Amino acid sequence: MVNKLKKYFALTRLGVLETLQWRIALCVMVLGNLLYLTLIFFLWKAIFASAGTDVVNGMTFEMTMVYLVLATSLYGVVELYLVWEIGRNIQSGKIVLDLLRPFKYKQYVFWENSGSLLVNFLFTFLPTFIVVRLMTKGTIPLGINLIYFLLAFVFSIIINYNIDFIVGTICLYTESIWGINIMKQMLVSLLSGATIPLAFFPDRVAAVVKYLPFRAIYDTPLTLLMEADPDWHTVVSKLGFSLFWVIAISLFSNLFWRLSIKQVTVNGG
Amino acid sequence: METINSNAAYRRKGPAFYLKIYLKIVAQDIKSKMSYRTDFFISTIGMITTNIAGFIAFLIMFGKFPSINGWEYYEILFLYGFSLISITPTQCLLDNNWSLRRYVYDGDFVKYCFRPINLWFYYVSEVFDVKGLGQLAFGTGTLVYAWIKLALPVSLILILKTVVALVTASLFMMALQNAAAASCFWIQNSFWLLDISLKMKDYAKYPVTIFNDVFKFIFTFIIPVAFMAYYPSLAILRPDNVPVLTYLSPFLGILAFYGSYKLWMKGAGKYDGSGS
Repeated sequence: MVNKLKKYFALTRLGVLETLQWRIALCVMVLGNLLYLTLIFFLWKAIFASAGTDVVNGMTFEMTMVYLVLATSLYGVVELYLVWEIGRNIQSGKIVLDLLRPFKYKQYVFWENSGSLLVNFLFTFLPTFIVVRLMTKGTIPLGINLIYFLLAFVFSIIINYNIDFIVGTICLYTESIWGINIMKQMLVSLLSGATIPLAFFPDRVAAVVKYLPFRAIYDTPLTLLMEADPDWHTVVSKLGFSLFWVIAISLFSNLFWRLSIKQVTVNGG
Repeated sequence: METINSNAAYRRKGPAFYLKIYLKIVAQDIKSKMSYRTDFFISTIGMITTNIAGFIAFLIMFGKFPSINGWEYYEILFLYGFSLISITPTQCLLDNNWSLRRYVYDGDFVKYCFRPINLWFYYVSEVFDVKGLGQLAFGTGTLVYAWIKLALPVSLILILKTVVALVTASLFMMALQNAAAASCFWIQNSFWLLDISLKMKDYAKYPVTIFNDVFKFIFTFIIPVAFMAYYPSLAILRPDNVPVLTYLSPFLGILAFYGSYKLWMKGAGKYDGSGS
């Protein structure tokens, strides 16, 4: 067991080193995110000013901003562009080499990218969180909610990774990456509440989105983080929902991969 | 072929020569894309889905908030359609810029350096992104719809103004993407810059008046988001009160595009082909 983990952590370490190699890229990413957040800030400020009331759908401007800022930085952590990686490996035939490695392919791709996930978490999400916390004293409580958040965040990573992996597997059939990836990216960022908080969705749309797994990626961890003392019912139902999807989607992606890899031949392999 | 290979022809190559070459290269590209029919089909669906999802996000926002900063729903819709149309040249013509950092990183970029034609031209002409035309159709539909709902007059002069405004906005979008791609000659991993430049387009549809003075300046003169729909459209949407910047925008657009081209070429000149 220890050996097995060691093998995976070696991949994490490599990923950390590789990501740190791109220091300028990291700075550019942070700068870009700041710029993007500035745009969002002014946009929502103007929107709330035009709305005429301070609270829209139970969200104040400050809450909306905190939510969107954290969602954006979380997006930078979770989105690893793995569909591209898997797709390209399929097209180039490199996947054959990866399949021969002493890892399960799904595990291999995940752990190979875990390093950059870790670096992104430490260098983008954590600083953002601290700055937001300092700037808006009241909006993010520090207490048990942090534990709930971390738990929901782990579920979020797993669900998001499985979605990527399923979409990557589809690339085995289609030889198309761009189209599939862009569809996935748009659907996930819209339906997960990454671009617009789910609280603003019209009731009928929200009723459907509520049951989809995408919510567990951004909406669940962030709403848990922002609530000081949620009642047990809320916590259990939210985390339970995420856990349900973690299991369901993992099983599905494993099954789909096993069926697909048998049937598909790869160019250049 | 002899004319192309002769030395004298290198120096005097007019637009006609480049157009001929462009059509030839693009025809090859489209042919090779057509051999991956599924990919083409899925990419087109992907493009349409993206636009629909973007539009749904827009509707959700405006379902709750009927106006932004004195700009009503149909005016923002106009800017939305406008920005989709003006991204088309960037999408269709400059798509190969997305691969630039990989070519530079792997060292394959060197293959472009040995052609007797303009390097930038040859590089970008290699890919023509057909699915950008779907976006163009979507944008045109949105613009026309908003035009009707705003009861804007249909006159030759106004249509002409719109075309000039669209070309202007396109120039700024091309300039930004081109410059972002060129950054890979210096910082190698330019993906983030390109990604940001693409994201900026999504915010071009909002009036620049939402910003405070500092950011109004930044988003006008440093990162020209305000020129990607807002300033050029003012000539059509608010004809009674057109600022100087709107009149200047076509010239600034040409300047910005030329600057980005120069930057790109400067970077390419610096490229040493080491691949690392």
